[in-house]
Amino acid sequence: MTAIATDPPMLERRYARLGVVLIAPTILVFSLVIVYPLLAAIYLSLFSIYTPTLQGEFVGLDNYAKLLTQKAFWSSLGTTLIWTVGTLSLQILAGVGLALLLHQNIWFRSLARSLVLFPYFLSTVVAVLVWRWLFNDLYGALNHGLMQLGVIDMPLDWLGSMPNAMIGVILVGAWKYFPFVVIAVLARLQTIPEHLYEAARIDGAGPVSRFFDVTLPQLRSVLTVIILLRAIWDFKEFDLLYLLTGGGPVTSTQTLSLLVYQEAFGLNRMGQAAAYSVGMMLVMLVFMILYIRRTGRES
Amino acid sequence: MPRARHLILNLVTWSLVLLIAFPLFWMIITSVKPQSELFRIPPTWLPETVTFEHYWRLLSETPFLRYFRNSVVLATTTTLFVVSLGTLGAYSLVRFNYRGRETLAMLVLFTYLLPSVVLIIPLYMMMVAIGLSNTLMSLILAHTTFALPYALWLLRSFMEGVPKDLESAALVDGATRMGAFRDVILPQLLPGIISTALFTFILSWNEYLYALVLVNSDAVAPLTTGVMSMLISAFNIEWSLLMAASVMMSLPLIVVFAFLQSYLTSGFGAGGVKG
Repeated sequence: MTAIATDPPMLERRYARLGVVLIAPTILVFSLVIVYPLLAAIYLSLFSIYTPTLQGEFVGLDNYAKLLTQKAFWSSLGTTLIWTVGTLSLQILAGVGLALLLHQNIWFRSLARSLVLFPYFLSTVVAVLVWRWLFNDLYGALNHGLMQLGVIDMPLDWLGSMPNAMIGVILVGAWKYFPFVVIAVLARLQTIPEHLYEAARIDGAGPVSRFFDVTLPQLRSVLTVIILLRAIWDFKEFDLLYLLTGGGPVTSTQTLSLLVYQEAFGLNRMGQAAAYSVGMMLVMLVFMILYIRRTGRES
Repeated sequence: MPRARHLILNLVTWSLVLLIAFPLFWMIITSVKPQSELFRIPPTWLPETVTFEHYWRLLSETPFLRYFRNSVVLATTTTLFVVSLGTLGAYSLVRFNYRGRETLAMLVLFTYLLPSVVLIIPLYMMMVAIGLSNTLMSLILAHTTFALPYALWLLRSFMEGVPKDLESAALVDGATRMGAFRDVILPQLLPGIISTALFTFILSWNEYLYALVLVNSDAVAPLTTGVMSMLISAFNIEWSLLMAASVMMSLPLIVVFAFLQSYLTSGFGAGGVKG
């Protein structure tokens, strides 16, 4: 033991070898279930494959030619952007707002925080079932609540017509995911030094200008990270949209994730679906690189 | 702060909190309403009679318990598998020097953001080819695709929080690296491991897409697809029954929230949202 310890380069090498041994199982599983499928997806996008038999033939770049020239991909991309921007803005607004309120000294603060946090961890299946029952056009609590408050006169068809369906999924998405923003912002709020507020108060700043001059600049970096991360996650969301509307009415809420699924398992065109998924990944790559570069720089 | 302002602040905040929590209350209220009261127009905001018949029917007349068991097996196995791999992997990524380490860390982060629909087509073909489709094993492997990068990333930042000196001191005292890992690092890392395990379990428990594509036999269906199939197969949608199923399905989560919530919040700080 002592003989080895006095020979640093050799010890270094032994440690490096141990490090590789420790990461080896992870690398093996990674290659098997992530790297290989990822490369396979790109390879498969050059084929035309019939899903039930998994048989097909090489078609070169045909699938990509279709992706570029036909409407399906582009209109889905548009839908995805509307959904992402809509639900993300609501998440940020509600998230920052509620974080500011929950940062105050209110009654039963930890209970309030738990209640706000809960939807985020709830299964999407549960969230969707509850909301479909709330949205129910005949017996739904939402329509009756709004009617009792006098906001609407007639029950609305929430998920079966446009633009209600898009508004509906955006609302449910915001409800389910804004707690993420609340937690991240709350954590940051607790680290803002009190003396910054003292100084602003001495300068005669009211609550509103204290928010814009002190709080918001302090939140800027955490908000950038949250927005990038949530934009990526909302962009690829499948469960919530698929279960709420199935992409309908017709294809009005069919985002790219749903398009890939529909093409592969509804229309049985796996090669074309793989091409769509690669296209979708290329669009996301911009955000992913931005996020990775930011996180890499910080750590 | 003046009393009036404090009161208004409380009222505003609590109204919003209750509004946000309303769907959850409504889920519970619906699950204990008798069928006859359910289709009242306008709805009764509080149940006139409370019944547990839907819970009884759910457990005795539907395959709910089988779905529940499948989900328990699936989420537990995924968690054990991913957390053990991830702990060793994170130790290696943080405390060892070798070529390609940084690239590997970036790859982990990249896969953490990857959309499932990209992997699902090749994974489906792979599971069919090796004869694993329609088994819980296929779902465990598929869940690894999102759970492993997530666990690695979380554990990596928890590992960075363990002081380096503790390990060095143990090494000076003659411990081996693995000895120091077991005796010094693991105890320090335990809260991080619990937090990661909880997150992984919840992720796996809630997952829907892979279960939808890889499993179409009712015998191995987990809760997510199982409960959804109860909605689709029913001629008349029985909302009370579905709400009872939703409550039961959220039970593990309610337990975690009641007793282990601090582990969930600490996982957030580590999960890549440090601003």
